[in-house]
Amino acid sequence: MQPQNGIPIDYYIWLAAALFTIGVLGVLYRRNAIIIFMCIELMLNAVNVLLVAFSTYLNDAAGQVFVFFIMAVAAAEVAVGLAILIMMYRNTKTTDINILNRLKW
Amino acid sequence: MTLNLFYFLSFLAVLSALMVVFSKNPVYSVLYLIITFFTIAGHYILLDAQFLAVVHVIVYAGAIMVLFLYVIMLLNLNRESEPHKSNILKFAAVICAGLLLVVLVGSLKGTEAIVQQSGKAGIGYVKTLGEVMFKEFLLPFEITSILLLAAMVGAVMLGKSEKTNDTI
Amino acid sequence: MENPNLAEYLPIALMFIFALGFVVTTMIATHVLGPKRKSKIKLDTFECGIESKGNARIPFNIKYFLVAILFVLFDVEVIFMYPWAVNFKSLHWEGFIQMTVFISLLLVGFFYILKKGALKWEE
Repeated sequence: MQPQNGIPIDYYIWLAAALFTIGVLGVLYRRNAIIIFMCIELMLNAVNVLLVAFSTYLNDAAGQVFVFFIMAVAAAEVAVGLAILIMMYRNTKTTDINILNRLKW
Repeated sequence: MTLNLFYFLSFLAVLSALMVVFSKNPVYSVLYLIITFFTIAGHYILLDAQFLAVVHVIVYAGAIMVLFLYVIMLLNLNRESEPHKSNILKFAAVICAGLLLVVLVGSLKGTEAIVQQSGKAGIGYVKTLGEVMFKEFLLPFEITSILLLAAMVGAVMLGKSEKTNDTI
Repeated sequence: MENPNLAEYLPIALMFIFALGFVVTTMIATHVLGPKRKSKIKLDTFECGIESKGNARIPFNIKYFLVAILFVLFDVEVIFMYPWAVNFKSLHWEGFIQMTVFISLLLVGFFYILKKGALKWEE
């Protein structure tokens, strides 16, 4: 059994680049804080794809362990971030980031 | 066959990622993001990282996206309450992202592709991952528990309401 | 070029296709086969029906959200236990102690949650 699947690593690099760019586009394009959060998840996943691809091509399991840790970090980030978002919604009744540009009101 | 599968999954991933950004309703965005995560899990399987694919589905599609959906339901976000950016800002955002893509592609274009290493098979098995994690990456593993502890405390601090039956 | 390993995923792929196909065909079939009579009287509430008011998405209690957050965190914790469980014998007591440290740190968080009463529904 071989890890080789006949797909050049370049393809994965382009895929990860495209996904990362879409994530960046979403952060710049939207004003809803929840969508921005989701786009950050998208960027994290683009990096994950690249890590797994290189881990398979270099035959080194370390990359996949990194992906594990990134998943844990993403879960922690989502938990705290969404809690902050809910607190902000309580105070301002909106998730528009243009309203959230001041730290106190 | 494998290459076709790769093209199909990539196309689906990029398309649904674009739909996450451009769909008006936040609930649709979440659902499209779930599709993206499933296709990424498919990519992991193609890359022979079976365990990671399963974990990815459990953590992202199963837990994190449910949390997102919860928040959207909780905050009562609808199409009408969706904030809009002005067209010029949207245009600027597209230009910026396009430039980033050009820079990424341009910087990676001339690079030499790595030669595939031949070695022991089954990198993506749970057993191999566990061995590496508990031998080489023990400290990050323990620190992860502290991170999760901090996230727990933070979420409870922020989310716990003083009043009972608080519906936001 | 062909990945021999990929054939092993055929049952899983079939399961996905059937699950998805079932949902899609049922939805299409109900749309096609079901009679559509959308007159005013037909859509009216009658007998014990209640007039619907407002949006289906009403704000609900924040405690649901707190439970969901804690679920995500403990879910990730359990994910870390799989590689340990598979290597349980080869890691010996060392691995056991490492895992005990990991779990005990999370138990601190769990007791914090219990003390704060985040999982209590009625106070």
